[in-house]
Amino acid sequence: MTSDRASGVAENEYDVAVVGGGPAAMAFARTVAPYGLKLVVLDEQPRPGGQILRQPPREFTVTGWLASGGYDGLKRLLGRFDGLDGVRWIGSTSVLGLSPADGGLELSLAGLDAPRAVRARRVLVATGCQELAAPFPGWTMPGVMTAGGVQTLLKSQQFIAGDRILFCGVHPLQLIVADQVTSAGGTVAGVVFAQPWSSAWGLARYAGTALSNLGLLGQAARAMIRLRRRGVPILFGQVPRRALGGDVLEAVELQSLAGEARSAIACDGLALCYGFTPQSELPRSAGADFAWDEPYGGWRVVHDAWMRSSLPGVQVAGEVTGVGGAVKSTIEGEIAALGLLRDEGLISEGEAQARARPLARAHRDVLAFAAMLKALTSPGLALSKMACDETMICRCEMVRLADLKAARAQNVQVGRPSALKLLTRAGMGLCGARNCECAVVRYVAAADGRPIEAADAFTARFPTRSTSIASLL
Amino acid sequence: MRAIQGVARGPAIRFTVDGRAVEAFAGETLATALLAAGIRVFRRDQEGGGRAPYCNMGACYECLVWVSEAPSGPGVRVRACLTPARADMIVRTAAADDL
Repeated sequence: MTSDRASGVAENEYDVAVVGGGPAAMAFARTVAPYGLKLVVLDEQPRPGGQILRQPPREFTVTGWLASGGYDGLKRLLGRFDGLDGVRWIGSTSVLGLSPADGGLELSLAGLDAPRAVRARRVLVATGCQELAAPFPGWTMPGVMTAGGVQTLLKSQQFIAGDRILFCGVHPLQLIVADQVTSAGGTVAGVVFAQPWSSAWGLARYAGTALSNLGLLGQAARAMIRLRRRGVPILFGQVPRRALGGDVLEAVELQSLAGEARSAIACDGLALCYGFTPQSELPRSAGADFAWDEPYGGWRVVHDAWMRSSLPGVQVAGEVTGVGGAVKSTIEGEIAALGLLRDEGLISEGEAQARARPLARAHRDVLAFAAMLKALTSPGLALSKMACDETMICRCEMVRLADLKAARAQNVQVGRPSALKLLTRAGMGLCGARNCECAVVRYVAAADGRPIEAADAFTARFPTRSTSIASLL
Repeated sequence: MRAIQGVARGPAIRFTVDGRAVEAFAGETLATALLAAGIRVFRRDQEGGGRAPYCNMGACYECLVWVSEAPSGPGVRVRACLTPARADMIVRTAAADDL
């Protein structure tokens, strides 16, 4: 990748700025770069790849990194991205805001080696997803992590996040991560699904789409076989009741979905895997239209056939348009690229349509697969069983479910999430409501008896990542 | 614990955490280095409860630690999961937080 002096455009001014460096961004850049446009790609991670391809540090040599498990296509994409001309990579940088500026757009940044801002005529937001927060008593204890966090510590940092790790969730990714942990020499105390065993046979209903996307499900099935061979218990129909320990995690007490106590499992790590939510704070803070993303929750940015959001000049691609996996992300990155090239007059309408046609077919297939997977992994019931009054819903501001209920009870006319935020401070902490908003929105919808699709969001604002005042001066 | 099979790590580096020397490898984040050194509580919340890395992707802000370059320097709070450990860093954990 070359630095940015080639075209006559001023430093820190680009044709296109891409927020996020994962599969959607890389597919977009690969398609756009050959047309001579000057791109910048920004990410909080030091190296490209996003979360699914969290690369080891340059100082490490890892033999057979992500060698098994269907990552080959993505790794090839990563290799192509690294070799592109006219693309500047700015890693280890948070994007704080997006606003119109001088007929284009400006992104304000915070990063040690980054400029304060970059400007571009067009922006692609490909900020991916994060894990859905699944609150329960004791979930803030050291040792409780997300399954993705355990996975990225392993695949990137080559670190196993505990001596004995328990996995609890709804998503088959937890089987894959548990298998990766045991293959690396770690110990897994068990993998616990909220769904009953019978739901696994729901796959038969979707045989067509499942077979054409054996990627994730095939990996998960093979992972389960290996885990069983290693004697790792795989349990169904259970969720965490309480995390136990003094200062740090020592065990997790499980319960059935009916609330009956089950075993307490000794562990020093708990990996939660209850689904994923779009990281859409940046475009929402700039006013982009959005909608609730079922079944895990969070806000997906809505878009047209060419991935254009409701904000002029801003496209979206990947998990931020709705959680659906890496293949969906690469398809959408490419569709967005074609849309951009068409808008810029660099390819004709006819060529854009012709190139987009197979992508649209592939997109429909992958959305069908994602819909099937989502139907089998809906976390709503589990979430409702896990959180109780004493549970901390807002980790940052220490707001418990009981506090939310009390605020509503004391202020009957005030029930919207943003009002509860003002009354209780839920959502006002450093994480920017990333780990409490879904729970608050779900609570309000249930208490109101209104459908979740009609729910209101917290207002997303600048800065969309908490930062020091020094970085803004 | 650090995975061993198939991994060749970079050079060892030394830095200070809460006044004691910690050894890590170049390229490791502070989150990895601290966890590998057996530090499980990174900070304390408003009720004194311990907090530690949760998401490992910069979204949750649970892994905040103080970093300074000089022993009596003011320091900055950083997300340990996004901050590479560097030789001679001075890191403080589990300090009373006023946020």
